[in-house]
Parts: sequence; C-alpha cells; structure tokens
Amino acid sequence: MSKKVIIQVGLLAGLGLFLFSRYANGSLSYYIHPRFNVLTLLTAAGLVVVAIAYGREYLLKGESHHEHQRDDYHDHDAHHHGHHHTHDHSHDLSWLGLALLAIPSILGFFVQPRPLGASALSNREVSVGTLSSVRAPEGSYFTTIATSGERNIMDWLYAFQNARDPGAFDGEEAHVIGFVYRDDRFDADTFMVSRFTVSCCVADAAPVGLIVRWPKTPELADDEWVEVTGPFEVGRFGDTTVPILVADSVVKTDPPAQPYLYQ
Amino acid sequence: MKTSELNQVSEPVTTNPVTATAKPMPLNARTIGRLLVVLLLLLILLGTLPGATLDFLGERFQIFVTIFLGIFIEAVPFLLAGSIVSGTLEVFVDRESLTRFIPRRPVPAAFVGSMLGFAFPVCECGVVPVTRRLYQKGLPASVGIAFLLSAPVINPVVLASTYVAFGWGPVLIGRFAFTILIAFAAGLLFHFAPKEEIVLPSVDLAHGDDHVLPAGAAAGRQRLWQSLVVAGDDFMDMVRYLIIGSMLAAAMQTFVPQQTLLAFGSGPVTSVVAMMALGFVLSICSTVDAFLALSFVNTFTTGSILSFLVFGPMVDIKSALMFLGVFRRRVVVYLILLPLAMTFLITVFINLNLGW
Repeated sequence: MSKKVIIQVGLLAGLGLFLFSRYANGSLSYYIHPRFNVLTLLTAAGLVVVAIAYGREYLLKGESHHEHQRDDYHDHDAHHHGHHHTHDHSHDLSWLGLALLAIPSILGFFVQPRPLGASALSNREVSVGTLSSVRAPEGSYFTTIATSGERNIMDWLYAFQNARDPGAFDGEEAHVIGFVYRDDRFDADTFMVSRFTVSCCVADAAPVGLIVRWPKTPELADDEWVEVTGPFEVGRFGDTTVPILVADSVVKTDPPAQPYLYQ
Repeated sequence: MKTSELNQVSEPVTTNPVTATAKPMPLNARTIGRLLVVLLLLLILLGTLPGATLDFLGERFQIFVTIFLGIFIEAVPFLLAGSIVSGTLEVFVDRESLTRFIPRRPVPAAFVGSMLGFAFPVCECGVVPVTRRLYQKGLPASVGIAFLLSAPVINPVVLASTYVAFGWGPVLIGRFAFTILIAFAAGLLFHFAPKEEIVLPSVDLAHGDDHVLPAGAAAGRQRLWQSLVVAGDDFMDMVRYLIIGSMLAAAMQTFVPQQTLLAFGSGPVTSVVAMMALGFVLSICSTVDAFLALSFVNTFTTGSILSFLVFGPMVDIKSALMFLGVFRRRVVVYLILLPLAMTFLITVFINLNLGW
C-alpha cells in the first residue's frame, strides 16, 4: 500500500514541478496575468515542501499506510509521539481520485502550450474600434503614453473612447502588433488586428482590436501575428463610424513573449 | 445515493472513533468511473467525425486546455494557502479556544460567521478547506455557512480591489452590504437544522477527537511538519473538486458563445439572470472579479453588476463542486439556491425601483 503514498508524493511534487516548468519556459503568461507569477512560484515551492512532509511522515518513518496504523493503533499509540492519529486520514483517495490529480500535469505536458488566438475569438463578444468590453480607467491614464508609435491596441481604444469623436485621429500614425481576425462582417480588404486583454487569468480574456484596411488582406492567414504600421482615417464598419487603420505595411512577425495585453 | 449516505453514517459505529473520520468524500470511484465512461464514449464519437469537424474540435480542445490551465493555475495557490491555514488550525488551535469566541445565540452567531472573513482572509477556493477544518474543530453549522458564503467577499483584499475598480459608490457598498445580509440569512436558516444533517459524517466533530499535540520543547518542529501533512491531505482532497470544476467552467467557456448571454444586457430582469449565469459559469477568483465586472458597466444594469459581484463569489461551478467535500448533497443544493434566490430578488428590486 505504500505505493499509493509514493504516488501521492510524486503527484504533489510533480504538480509543483509542472507549475515551475510553466514559469521556466515562459508559457505561464499564456495562462495568467504576470502579477500572479510570484504566487505560482510560491505554490510550486509549497507543494514540494508538502510532498517532503508527506514522504517524511509515511515513508521515512517506516509507517507505510494508515491501514497498518489502524490495526496497531492502540499498541503503538504510546511511543509514536501521537502523530499517526493527529489527522483525519482523508488522504485515503481512490486510484481514480489520484488519476484526477494528474490531469493538469498531463494536459500541461502533452498538449503544446498555446495562447488564445483567433479561433477563441469567435466565441466571445468582440469589441471593434468602439470598444464596449474595455472601459478606460478614470483620469488621465492616457497621457503616460503620449507618443502615438508606442501605443498598443488597448491604448488606442482608450484614446478613441476618451476622444468620443472618431475623426479626431485622422492622420495619426499607429504601429501595433496583433493577430489577424476576420469574420462575415469584414470586407475582402479589411481585417482586425487583435489582442486579448487579461486582468487575472485567461478565463476573463476579452478580445480587442483595430480595423485595418490593407489591399493584400486575402494573402493573410487567420490567427497569423502581424506588425501593422499606418495612419488612421475615419470610416464605416458595419453600422458604426470608427477610426480605420489604413496600413502602409503589414509584416508577419513572431508572437510576442507576452501574448496578451494586461489590464 | 440514499444508501451510500446511510453507509457512511452507519459504518463508523463499528470502527473506532478515529477511523470514523476517515470515510472518503462522496466523489467516489463510481462517480469517476462514470465520468471516464462518458469520456470514452466521447472519444469514440470523435473517431467517427469527418476531418473538418475534427480540425474545429482540435482548435476547441486547445482553447479548452488553455482556459482550464488558466483557471487552475490561478486558483491553485489560493487552495494551497487555504489548506495550509487549515493544517495550522488543526495542529495549533484546540477546540475550546475556538468555540469560546463564538456566540451561542443564533443571531449573533450568524453575524459573527458572516464577518469571520476579516479573521481569515481567503477567497472562494481557500475558504472551503478552512471551513471544513473549523467544522471539525466544533464550529456551529450556521456560523460555518455564513463564513463560507461571505468570506470570499468580506475580506480586506476584495474590499480593496472593488474600491479600486468602482470607487466609493453603490456598487462597493451594495456588494458588501448584500453579501453580509445574504450570508447572515443563510447561516441563520441553517441554525435550525442539526449539524449532522448538514455536514458530511467525516466533517462532523461528533465522531472525531481533538488532534492538538501536547505543548513541549520537541513538539514545535513536529507540529510544523504535522500541519504540512494535514495541509497535504486537505489539498489533495479539495483539488479534485477544483480540477473538475475548472474543467466544467473551461468547457462552458469554450463551447457556449458569450453573445448568447450578453444579448440580455439592458432588461432589468434578464440582465440580472445573464450576469448571475455568467458569474456562475466563469468561476473567476473573487479577488479580481471586480475588474472584469467593470467591463460590463456600460452595457449592463447596475443591479446586474451587483448580482455578478455578490452571487459569483458565493457560488460558482468550481466552488459548488468543492462544497461537496464538506456538505451533504441536499445542503449543497440549498447553498446554491438560497444565495441565488436572494441575490436575484435584491438586485431585480434595485433595477426596478431604485434606478442606481
């Protein structure tokens, strides 16, 4: 029966190592906001410590399983510091319960980590240009990013929202990175350069994007990461009037290390 | 279900009091076996599908894995923290010193329960193992339920994050006032049922004994290790519910389009229904849900935003599953329905009559 304890120790430590591996290979930012990284690292360390405590308790001390303790309970009670019955033995999990414990590590190790992309977008409310899913923070957040070339997609959307007049940005140069998204609403020469914004973990991911006009749009693949440069020009998208990015250049690029924009 | 519950009650009588607390949680081999069969059938079904559908499902599967791991990685630190608090409580706090501070009369007791979050600042993942441990230490059922429902919101961290997101106003005040009110009312209701009908036999102190080690010079380090072992037990118990809950939440997010919910934005009743459903399905941590709610302010009624912020932390897919590790199934149903009904009534009333 001590096999089960060994597996439990392995599962606890394995989960800790799995969490650490996400941090080490950089894919942690596919899942959660970076401000929680330190929590994940602490948890990885904590799980390893708990695994050590487990191993120390059940393996090193020669007491392999509480089934054993249960029989010998009265005999051993006096000279075992009383620690055998100091907890409720709720670790008596079934084998299938243990299998469940391994799911995150297994999925994590065997499924190639990938951030949310264009395919996830079709399932969510998409805010195009006018931005209903992101509200600008109170005050003059925007003044910190004065240079238009440094604004990311979300910064631009905040700016649009603060200005109210979609025509106010005509001629301003933008330089943004995002993935390509299209659906039925887009003309042949337009696409949306998109990012997901994340405030906690991907469960709250909300897509944002700018409408881009680019003659060679049909050559772009969905979900492809691109760098878009060009000026804005007020235009129509569906029923709304929005600033449209008239691209001078659209260059394929590698996905950034931090794929989401963090609020 | 009836018979298995009966077994759990009757079996401990034949064994000694210590092993009585060793009964496994209701998430037994049979339940998991059924899940695996369903999974297997799904896999067989997948094999018969044409290629294009398979590509689509492959993409969906990727999204599912990403969201599942996102929820899990986000929540697991808080569960471990709760387990460690639980382990520390188990080893360092004895029954008498805990119950001494809890009032006996129902109204003060339920009120203390709904404020206990300031003493144990935990979110909805951490609160479950802590509540279970407090029950084993002799906490009255009503106090524990008030604590369980209120603690994810009534604590300094969530107070701060809600203030940052919404500032001083109806949302902040309403969130805290209504959470306390609902947790208090639910706790009070459960005051009139005997504890053994509310919690699982393994959680009921009536069968257990107090596990605090004798104080002593050598005992200090031993206690620390012991608290970690207990934390490990609790963690492995509860993490299974967290895993299943995160998978369900991720599946809902992957396959149910959000537009279907968001179409209801402005109706005084439909918006509340939609936001409560969203809070239940999304299962995001109470420490950050205010920031997410912020993005709905422009399209949704204030009452519905409040319903999201009050109901979501009390009950969502993953926490409801974790309740199964503490309470009898019937009680879990009430723990979902009571906050649901009360939140709904309060927030719809706000929408219809107050115009916040």
